[in-house]
Amino acid sequence: MAEIVAAALTSHAPLITGRPDIGKPEQRERLYAGFHELGRRLAAARPELIVMFVNDHLQNFPYSNLPAFCVGLADEYDAPSAGGGKFMRLPPRKLRGDRAWATALLEAGLDAGFDFAYSYEIESWDELSVPLHFLTPDGVVPVLPIYTNCAAPPLPRLRRCHAMGGFVGDFIRAHPARRRVALVASGGISHWVGTPDTGRINPEWDHHVLDHIARADLEPLLGLTHEDIERDGGNGGQEIRNWIALLGAVPGWKGEALAYEPVAEWITGCATVWVHA
Amino acid sequence: MIPEVSYALNKVLTAVARRHAMKPALSDEDLAGHTLSEPERAALKAGNIDALYRLGANPYLIRRVFRANFKI
Repeated sequence: MAEIVAAALTSHAPLITGRPDIGKPEQRERLYAGFHELGRRLAAARPELIVMFVNDHLQNFPYSNLPAFCVGLADEYDAPSAGGGKFMRLPPRKLRGDRAWATALLEAGLDAGFDFAYSYEIESWDELSVPLHFLTPDGVVPVLPIYTNCAAPPLPRLRRCHAMGGFVGDFIRAHPARRRVALVASGGISHWVGTPDTGRINPEWDHHVLDHIARADLEPLLGLTHEDIERDGGNGGQEIRNWIALLGAVPGWKGEALAYEPVAEWITGCATVWVHA
Repeated sequence: MIPEVSYALNKVLTAVARRHAMKPALSDEDLAGHTLSEPERAALKAGNIDALYRLGANPYLIRRVFRANFKI
């Protein structure tokens, strides 16, 4: 049977790689160290597939068609594309997908009451490109991205995201293939992007989120409403849906924050978290 | 409370963002073929990020297209 051999939560922001020069050196180095430690632990777990819980920033799913949850069925993903890479200052690269597993997940979801949308072509922005730049620099492990709408309200409820992740975890553990699967979720924590409060970060809320994850005490987070998060975590804070989904896949696992830095210059409360039993 | 959404604004901004273009303001050429209200058209042509937010543009799209107009 397949097994979940690793799980990690990270923030994503194009400026993490796009403008490292503007971050305070000590903050940048602590956060980069957190990413590198996550990468070291991930490599040690020898994953053969990485299931990614991520979100689009409206570069793939426009207002004419906005899925709550979407499974990537692409053979490969631009992470980043040549155009996107300019902003993140990352070289363009293709990451291999896994259509067979993604299709099986999609089919199983339909049986279980999770009617995922699907896409054969997704251009990754920072949601895949930035964390995987650190975590899988060689890019040889295939990825299976699951996109959750965190950017264009109304958004799926946190409890539903958690249940979706629970389904994904059950799917992996029930898969007959002997395969080592890692989970990575990216997004959050607090940040205000493109709003009149752009640049605001709320470290107090970020620590609140991290503390609950450290104790595997998710119930208070599952009860957060869109308005709660918008007020305390900003529109970017809505991306904790990806973290919540991952945590749903590994019930009882706890999050060890390797780094947390409220980086004003990158307008994001940035964290790297190793999740373990 | 879900914020007001302007589909017309987001459609224009999506088209520009997908070209990976960042601009201080949009041109008549960018707006050609789009049905917009006068306040929407004025905000796009001025690159007025606060007005765009009030008028229902998605903040991620505002940031993508008008990045240069933000202080940070």
